[in-house]
Amino acid sequence: MFHWLEKHPFFFAVGVFLVIAFAGLIEILPNFAQASRPVIGTAPYSTLELTGRHIYIKNSCNACHSQLVRPFKSETDRYGHYSLSGEYAYDRPFLWGSKRTGPDLMRVGNYRTTDWHENHMKEPSAVVPSSIMPAYRWLFTNKSDIETAYAEQLTVAKNFGVPYNKPVSMKDGSSKTVKMGASVAEAKSIALEEAKVIAADMRDQDVKDAVANGQIPEIVALIAYLNSLK
Amino acid sequence: MNKLYLGGVIFAAFMLLFTYLSVSSSHGGFNGDIVNMLAVTGAIALVMISAFVVIKYVRQMQTDKASGDLADENWDGIGEFKNSLPTGWAVMFLLTMTWGMWYLTVGYPVNSYSQIGEYNEDTKVHNEKFEAQYKDITGKKLVDMGESVFIAECKVCHGLKADGIGGRAADLNHRIAAASVKHVLQNGSNNQLLGMEMPMPDRNGLINATTSMPITDAEIEALATYVSKGLTGTVGADVFAATCVMCHGADGKGVDSMGPNLKEFNTTLVTNILSHGKKGSIGTMPKFDRLNAKQKEAVSAYITSLSK
Repeated sequence: MFHWLEKHPFFFAVGVFLVIAFAGLIEILPNFAQASRPVIGTAPYSTLELTGRHIYIKNSCNACHSQLVRPFKSETDRYGHYSLSGEYAYDRPFLWGSKRTGPDLMRVGNYRTTDWHENHMKEPSAVVPSSIMPAYRWLFTNKSDIETAYAEQLTVAKNFGVPYNKPVSMKDGSSKTVKMGASVAEAKSIALEEAKVIAADMRDQDVKDAVANGQIPEIVALIAYLNSLK
Repeated sequence: MNKLYLGGVIFAAFMLLFTYLSVSSSHGGFNGDIVNMLAVTGAIALVMISAFVVIKYVRQMQTDKASGDLADENWDGIGEFKNSLPTGWAVMFLLTMTWGMWYLTVGYPVNSYSQIGEYNEDTKVHNEKFEAQYKDITGKKLVDMGESVFIAECKVCHGLKADGIGGRAADLNHRIAAASVKHVLQNGSNNQLLGMEMPMPDRNGLINATTSMPITDAEIEALATYVSKGLTGTVGADVFAATCVMCHGADGKGVDSMGPNLKEFNTTLVTNILSHGKKGSIGTMPKFDRLNAKQKEAVSAYITSLSK
């Protein structure tokens, strides 16, 4: 057989491919099939959270902040449970980042609050004296782009079967349904309802007034997103 | 002597001289450091082996004549001798195949490396070490541990001096601020400060035993002053005695499973706030459940020490 293989390079190549592919199949596929499913407790992003995620990307937060807790004691002490691949099931794209100039934000919603983010975005060094993070004051005046977030919701629901308007199991055994509007107007009103909850915990009067008038400053959407990172 | 050997010896001597000079002229030189000596020994071995292996094959090329049986195949007129397998190679080949079979069927599935496994082992070792080292610490050491945990976890909201950074979080140098007392009296409280006590009712459920009426705005003011000053002074003392003592005790130091200590911080109070989080007049405090029991106790000790 080996003499025959030496004379037929194409079939030799096919044989080599099969041997290597077999190793890949048994080592990679079973784990991949299991790990790529959404972890229980991972829900799709709501309209306002997704808007905030776009703001996070627009301001390149991922250039300085990672969203990946590695399985080391030193990291889990600081940031919480190590990341599981299924937790990124609804992240398109995932924002692992490659560098930590600032801390990891994978689970920042567990240990920071709305008003802390508000103070921090306005003047980081006021809450963390040694912080080198710049202030993001324009987030308090710029208005959020709900249309784009809604377009993404529609796209991922249609093309990837992301379960909007369907119950998703949570860790405590309950289920949660993330609403997606049937029209742009409905999406905007859903986002505004979410924004009111966030704004109630905020102190900036201009932001509160804007939300009361039906507008959503970027800071509100961004905080909604950061609070959803758990 | 063959000139090839002569060349080899000269080359080896030159390389050794070069190694010796470069090590001795480097920073520190031969200062008795074992690593330098190992490097030089390694260099000698490498140079000797290289020189003599090269010499062996060069001589073989010079003297060998082609002989033996040719294999059936030839490639554009270039043939291959039938050489029997070297024994050492054949043994290694068979061993590798055996190991491969073992790894495929037993080694990988049963015993594969996992990052998470390593993490779990690390965590276990760390926790056991922590437990052994800090199980019995008390007093100043406990306060010091609490301070270091505070600086790592709490300072971003409460500030390095635990003063709440100008009202952004609770000022932990005092047990309770007048604004917080007022907020709790008006809205009630359900923060599980003792773990599982009954929630405190809002102002409509707080009856002044003297007047048999819910407390008034003036009484709330008086209580806020009295409690925020550490239950001292005369203003509000009568209202406190008539309204609060049933749950918080006559001295304000709390009653088990009823009401928390209002006079000073203690371990139960702080530990429960760290475990459950808290929502009060300033805002929401998230829970810090990833601290272990000893760390929570240490933070309590530190915070208690601040207001003394």
